[in-house]
Amino acid sequence: MRIVIAEDSVLLLDGLTRLLMAEGHDVTGHRTADELVASLGPDAELPDVVVTDVRMPPSHTDEGLRAAIHLRSLHHRLPVLVLSQYVEQRYARELFAGDVRALGYVLKDRVTDVDELLDAIARVAGGGTVIDPEVVAQIMARASRTGLEDLTPREREVMALVAEGRSNSAIADRLVVGLPAVEKHVTSILTKLGLPPDSDDHRRVLAVLRWLEHRPNGES
Amino acid sequence: MTSQLAPGAVRPTAVDPFPSTVADMATVAPALLGGRALVAAPVSAATWRALAQTMVGWPWLLTVGLLVLVWVPTSVSLIPALLVGIPLLVWSQLAVRWFARIEIARLAAQTGAVIPLPHARPAAGPGWWSRFLAPLRDGRTWAANGYAALSTLTTSLAFALVVAAGAVALAGVLAPVYGVGPAVEDRFGVSRLVLGLVLLPAGLVAAWVAAVAAQAAALLQVRMGRTMLGCSRAAYRLATADAARERAEERVVQVESTRSQVVGAADNERRRIERDLHDGAQQRLVALGVELGAARRRPSSDPEAAAVLERAHREVQETLAELRDLVRGIHPAVLTDRGLDAALSALASRSPVPVTVRTPDDDRLERCGAAAQAAAYFVVAEALTNVAKHASATSADVTVTCADGRLTLVVHDDGRGGAVAAPGSGLDGLRSRVAALDGAFDLASPAGAGTTLTVELPCAS
Repeated sequence: MRIVIAEDSVLLLDGLTRLLMAEGHDVTGHRTADELVASLGPDAELPDVVVTDVRMPPSHTDEGLRAAIHLRSLHHRLPVLVLSQYVEQRYARELFAGDVRALGYVLKDRVTDVDELLDAIARVAGGGTVIDPEVVAQIMARASRTGLEDLTPREREVMALVAEGRSNSAIADRLVVGLPAVEKHVTSILTKLGLPPDSDDHRRVLAVLRWLEHRPNGES
Repeated sequence: MTSQLAPGAVRPTAVDPFPSTVADMATVAPALLGGRALVAAPVSAATWRALAQTMVGWPWLLTVGLLVLVWVPTSVSLIPALLVGIPLLVWSQLAVRWFARIEIARLAAQTGAVIPLPHARPAAGPGWWSRFLAPLRDGRTWAANGYAALSTLTTSLAFALVVAAGAVALAGVLAPVYGVGPAVEDRFGVSRLVLGLVLLPAGLVAAWVAAVAAQAAALLQVRMGRTMLGCSRAAYRLATADAARERAEERVVQVESTRSQVVGAADNERRRIERDLHDGAQQRLVALGVELGAARRRPSSDPEAAAVLERAHREVQETLAELRDLVRGIHPAVLTDRGLDAALSALASRSPVPVTVRTPDDDRLERCGAAAQAAAYFVVAEALTNVAKHASATSADVTVTCADGRLTLVVHDDGRGGAVAAPGSGLDGLRSRVAALDGAFDLASPAGAGTTLTVELPCAS
């Protein structure tokens, strides 16, 4: 795979580059968000996935996120995995406002769990959606007055995994239960949330995020 | 009668402004206290000072006293005559005020007794006429008239006594040298020497009388001065209380401003430390974690090395987690970068007890100032930690409202209650932090009925 990384810490950029090259990927590194955007102009040859940090020079706030949103608007469904020092609902909302396919948003510290990182990169490159469990937890915290509060603890667990973009079978594996049990939970959740049942994983995530995006602000 | 503080009002000193007679004796007339000072009176420094006081005081006070005794009654008698007496009287009183100041200074210089200046003057009513007549309504000035008048008598008596006794003393002491005259010597048929030896003790006694009289005269003037020239006790108390209040008010203003500076500086320092840790140790550890994770993926023939690698990797991840918690406790980056709303959401998401967060829907939170936001964040963080640890709650909610320049925070849980902000506890620390920002802190936690923590913080404009 051809991977482009944007990360301002030289140490981490080197580490990630070496890791991904050892996995057999072709890696290009950038130190700033501007470099990243410049390298992926309208006519550029696109990589299989872009991995970008959020907090980068010059202002050290959300340059990486802006770059990711810009690149996604420029190149339809360019796979992008965003690494953030902390998870933030509004970042997630901004990032996932459009098409959620081939998009990921995870906590930066998770990159030390190499397997999980490689899994996230592979899922995003393959068109999947990856959302950090902490983002999901935040969504749950802010959402409890719109039906989520009626969820049982087990349903909350399932909901979290659904919101992370996992398929029913993946959830069944994770929770060590049968697939029919997961399907039953998901149906119950979507009913409680007032969302029509749907078999498409992405549509389920989209439903959660759309609701987040459109909810009246003070009402959470 | 109301009093107002004159400019340059006296400030209370360590010295008692209204000493007792005995205390004045120790300064002005130690001989009157008896003992060694009494025996040594004729040759003590206090006597010489008192003598000088008498010598200067008599002509000075006699002059002023007579002037007052003439000027004041004359002015009064001239009032019916076209009212010219009134300005004369007013001017006399202004002059008496000057006299009082000079006399207080003279007494201090000549006797060492410090008399507080009369600094409270009656407030004048509106209008120039009232202001013009104000000196006539001042009791202290009238008392100074009394001092001047009375002093003509006292200083004259003192002067006469001291001079007479002094003359006898001088004659007696010097008799052996100069004799008392041939006529006397001849009549009693004694030699000049014998007569001199008889008169010497009489001279010494007279010297002692002169010394004690001079000291007593000085004491009398000082005591009169305290009663009639100086500040009255009530006015002094009022003025010192005013001065103390003024100083306390200045101090409060100063303390408030330095306190908010300290709080602000501490917040800035926390942010700096957070950034340093993030750019330094945290990044290095993440890079190290990636490195070790990558190494673990390489096929290894040595199982022991693989185990070591795994342990090291786990160790780095745990250290990183600890460091992240530490940094969060110092100052969370999300608060700096994204504000209170985002930071509270992050807190809620980490809470094991389900938490609902409600915040204002506009940018009012952002306008609340960094210090108030940081305090609010840490209040919620501590409160949610307590909820998770002690409350046995099934849910909690955090409500933030902004109104009238105040940020109000309510953290409520449905747990078992009974929470107290014990000294040294996290809640107690928060109470101090809130107090440092002039905020209000209220903890309601009846047993079995949940806990409600309410914190109000003023928003920096």
